[in-house]
Order: sequence, then structure tokens, then C-alpha cells
Amino acid sequence: MLMRSTAEIGTALITAGLGIAAMVGALEFGIGWSSSGPGPGAFPFYMGLLVACASLVNLAQAMIGRCRLQEAFLNGEQALRVAAFMGPVILFVIATLLLGMYVAAALYLTLTMWLQGGYRLMLSALTGIGAAAFFYVVLEYLFQVPLPKGPLEAAFGLY
Amino acid sequence: MDNFASLFDGFRIALSFQHVIIMVAGVLLGILVGVLPGLGAPNGVSLLLPLTFSMDPVSAIILLTSMYWGALFGGSTTSILFNIPGEPSSVATTFDGYPMAKQGRATEALTLAFLSAGFGALVGVLVITILSTWVATFAMQFSSPEYLAVYFLAFASFIGLGGTSPFKTIVSMGLGFGFATVGMDTISGGLRLTFGFSELLSGISFLIAVIGLFGIGELMLTMEEGLRFDGVRAKVSPRDVVKTIRHLPRYWVALLRSSAIGVWMGITPGGPTAASFMSYGLAKRVSRRPERFGQGEPEGVVSPEAADHAAGSSAILPMLALGVPGSATAAVMMGGLMIWGLNPGPMLFVERPDFVWGLIASMYLGNIVAVIVVLMTVPLFASILRIPFSIIGPIIVVVCFIGAYTVGSREFDLWLVLGFGLMGYMFKKLEYPIAPLVLAMVLGDKAEDAFRQSMIMSKGSLSIFWSNGLVSTLIALALVLLFWPVLGILVRRMLPVRSSSAFGQGTVPKS
Repeated sequence: MLMRSTAEIGTALITAGLGIAAMVGALEFGIGWSSSGPGPGAFPFYMGLLVACASLVNLAQAMIGRCRLQEAFLNGEQALRVAAFMGPVILFVIATLLLGMYVAAALYLTLTMWLQGGYRLMLSALTGIGAAAFFYVVLEYLFQVPLPKGPLEAAFGLY
Repeated sequence: MDNFASLFDGFRIALSFQHVIIMVAGVLLGILVGVLPGLGAPNGVSLLLPLTFSMDPVSAIILLTSMYWGALFGGSTTSILFNIPGEPSSVATTFDGYPMAKQGRATEALTLAFLSAGFGALVGVLVITILSTWVATFAMQFSSPEYLAVYFLAFASFIGLGGTSPFKTIVSMGLGFGFATVGMDTISGGLRLTFGFSELLSGISFLIAVIGLFGIGELMLTMEEGLRFDGVRAKVSPRDVVKTIRHLPRYWVALLRSSAIGVWMGITPGGPTAASFMSYGLAKRVSRRPERFGQGEPEGVVSPEAADHAAGSSAILPMLALGVPGSATAAVMMGGLMIWGLNPGPMLFVERPDFVWGLIASMYLGNIVAVIVVLMTVPLFASILRIPFSIIGPIIVVVCFIGAYTVGSREFDLWLVLGFGLMGYMFKKLEYPIAPLVLAMVLGDKAEDAFRQSMIMSKGSLSIFWSNGLVSTLIALALVLLFWPVLGILVRRMLPVRSSSAFGQGTVPKS
């Protein structure tokens, strides 16, 4: 079980890290005065500084109020549900890069409906393929916005 | 009045057959994204925006604003029928809307919600019609320091009046500005904060951030709660609708009060969410029977709805006239304007009056269209929510990623959406406000340019920010808002307390 205080502290550390990263990255470009006004790094540097400082305050508040923040941030059951949702989403992104977005969408919709929704495979596959075909028609023909395509579309000579 | 003559021209633009069709389509899409969890107004507009790049700007903005109205209405529908706010700004509507629906007064609750929302929106648009030229003329005097001061004012009011931890708001805002600076620097031509990733050269689009933060982040929250929809069956019977319309004038005080709150919160960047909570709280305080609030009091539906929509529509005013959006959705639309090659701000009124007045006229029509469409389609959209979430959820995921890819045809953006999704999930759970991040990402370049130009004008001296009456006033006002919580404590210390707090329960704005 993840405690609220742990989550607060972790998030504050990450945002502080992002702030410091922006400061370090900005230093490269000059944060002082240049011939054309403030250096290109000035604005990101001070924004990074602001984020880092505010994150430290958040961190301090989370540390001090630790006993007050002893409620659960995420219990086991919730974590499982989030993982069961995000796992397939990440696989969907990987599949999009390998197989193209339409095939990935059809697979993703079919498999989540079948394995997680408890529907029959036939119905799941019909829904998945139908949805992918719908997106294909709407995007490629109606709006003429191309999405990433993979080997299947190439085999059909669709692009 | 000049404005009304211009408005008449606007109506001639907005009232074409094509535009009315676009309005209906936009409203329908909007209701759909408003009804579905994980697809709110800002996210819906972001998803649709890339598809409008090739459209003419007037049609495009009519589509997007109509979608916005639709989304606001859709959010109220789920609040009342399912006790699930489709939008953060319709949380307050659940307090009395759902009890009313459970008592079998669903039609009455829905009709009241839609009509008062429509009323609020029309008040908002009327205020825009009257004030816009004046604000734009006023803003003509602005140069870089004044603009920077206005941006500062907008963010100061988020920090001071946001209701969440001011330091979390600062983190959110600073990160937004930081993300905006990634990539090519428009002035020096240098590549900033890319850390060697060639994918970051073209920067991080605010649309990607919105899709991740609002779309994937919201879905993660929904999944975590293991959402079940237990809706109240809704049949909208025309008889009940007519009966409710006849009863509406009874609530005129609540309508006017709530619209005023909404307009104020929309123009200052308090946003629709804060407006609806504040309006609900106030309605309860001044009511003669506050004990009935929370158990199906019609005024508890009328007040948050009117305020929500008044804020939603009046948020367009600062976006158009000043180039400072009043809400996350307005920020996304403003980003859209810039992508279409328009320059939001006072010059827009001079350069593209057809666009400005076409938009304003379409806001009148769009809201009327929205009320009619939403009343007719409630049963249809309610039935969509009965489709199990194991089907709807993944489809929303696919739509989000398709939308993200269409922004710039970059595969790297898909990973960014995942990253922003995780961030949105953590931020929502830990009560970091997200709207300041989106606003900062949209305004980032403009704010930085204003900062640099001000510094060049003053040769690096900060004294330029109190060099004339206008800029000093803006800065002073911003500082007051920024330190509002501190000032509040000081005032309370100095005056021995009689009433414990200025606002009653239920006025704490979330998100």
C-alpha cells in the first residue's frame, strides 16, 4: 500500500528534479545579459528555479505533515486495476510503432474486450476490427489525416 | 451601439447553412465527449483541433466552440442521471441533480439544468458583446510590459485564489512554462532544453500535454475507482419539459446571481469549476430553506449550472480581447487560433472583425442549438453510458492516441502522452491544479517574448514594471491577488473575528 505522504514526497522530488534539469539545461545558453537582451536561457532558468523552490516547499510540507498524510494513496486492489489498464495501453503504443495504428487498435480493442471484459472472442474481434475500419475510413478518407501504418497495410498496398 | 451593428454582421456570417450544420455536429460531438469519462471539454477540443487545420478559421472556431458548449451540457447530463460528473465543473450539479433524478424528477432536473445553463451562457455572451470592443480598445494601449503584467495577473489569481496549495499551483505553472520553452527558440534560433533528444527539437505541443493530462490521466483515475454506472432511466417527456419551462422564471434571482458569479469567474481566470461551487454555496447560504439543499432542491441545480456556463462562455472574452484565456479549454482554443495563423488579442478586432463577430454571433446560436439538441438526445447519450466500460475505455484510449498522433505525425508524441498521462494522474490525486500548466504552455512563448522585449526596452531594469500608471496598477492588482491568502489571514488577525469565514461550506473549488 502506498501512503499519501510517500506519494507527495516522491512527486515533489520529481518536480524538483525537473526544475533543476531545466536550470542546468538553460545555463548552457546564457542566462545573463547578451547583445539582444536577456540570454535565451534566462526565462527557462528562472522558471526552473521557481519550480525547484516551490517543490522544496511542497517537500517540506509533506515531510512535516507526514503523520497527517497517513491515509492510503493507492491500495493493492486499486494498483492492480490501474496496472490492468495501463499495461495494455503501453503494449498498444509499442504495437502501434511496430504494426501501425489501425492493426494495433484492432488487436488492443479485441484483446481487452475478450480477456478483461469477458466477452466472446468473436464479438470482441468484430468490435475491434469494426472500430479500426471506422477510424480508417474517417481519418484516411474524410479528413485525409494519415496514421502510422505497418506491414499489413503494406501487404494490401494501401499506401 | 457599434457592437450590435457588428454583431448583426456576425449573424450574417454565422447563420449560413454550412455553419448551422457545423454547430449541430460540434454540439453532438461535444455532448459525447462531455458524457464519456476521460474525454472532457479541453481534451475533446484538443483531439478535434488537428482536424481543423485545413478548415477556414471561422468554421473551425464555430466547430470548436460548439463542441465546448456540447461538452458542458454533456457533463451536466451524467451528473444528474449517473451521479458522475462528466466535467469537473459539473460536480456541484450532482449535489441536487442526482437526488432529483432518483425521486423521479429526472426530466425536471435535466430541463432546469439545460435551460439555466443556456441562460447563463447567453448572459456570458451578452457581456462579451457589450464589453469586447471596449476591452480590446483598452488593450490597444498595452505594450510588452503591460502584457507581461496581465499574464502575471492571470497566474497570480490562480495562485492566490485557486483554493489548492499555492506552491503546487506554482509548480504546475512553472512546469508549463518550462515545457513551452523546449525546442527551437524563436529569437536566438538556438535549441533549448532538448537534452540531446532529437525528438524534442520541435518542442512539446500543448495539445499532447492536454490529451495526456486530461485524457489518459482521467481514465487512470476512473479505472482505479473501478467505475460502475448505475444510472437513473431517463425519458424526457415533452409535457414535463414544457411544465418546467413555465416554472423557470420562478428562479430568476438565482439565475441572475449565478450568471453574475459565472461571468466574473470566467473573465478573471477563476474558471467554471470554481464558479459553480461558489454559486452553489451562495445559493445555499441565502436560501430560505438551506436544509433542502443536497436532497433535490431545484435551485441547487439552477445555480451551479448557470454559473458554470456563464463562466465557460465569458472565458472567451479575455482570450479574444487580451490573448489571455480564462480556462483550460479557452487556452486550447487560443492555441488553435495561433495555429490557424490568427493573433488573439486586440489587433484581432481590427484585422479579422469577420472572425471575431462571426464567433460571437455563433455563441448565441450555438447555445440555443445546444439546448435544443441536448434535450432531444438525452436518452441516446444516456444509453451510451450503459455500454460497459471495458469497451468504452479502450476506445477512448485509442481515440486519445489517434488524436495525439494527428497533432504533428510524430511517434515520439505517443510516449509523451503516456508520460503526461502518468503526470496527470499523480497531479489529480495529489491536488496539483492542471489548468495553470495548460495555460502556461499555451502562453509560454508570448510571455517569454513579452519578458524579453520588456527587458530590452528597459535595458535590463525591472523598474519598467512600475514605469507608468497602467502597468503599475496591473502589477499591484496581481500582487494583491498573489498574496490574497496571506492578506486574508492578516485582516482576520487585525479584526477580531465575528463570522468564522467568508464562504460557507461547499464553496471550496477543486481542480
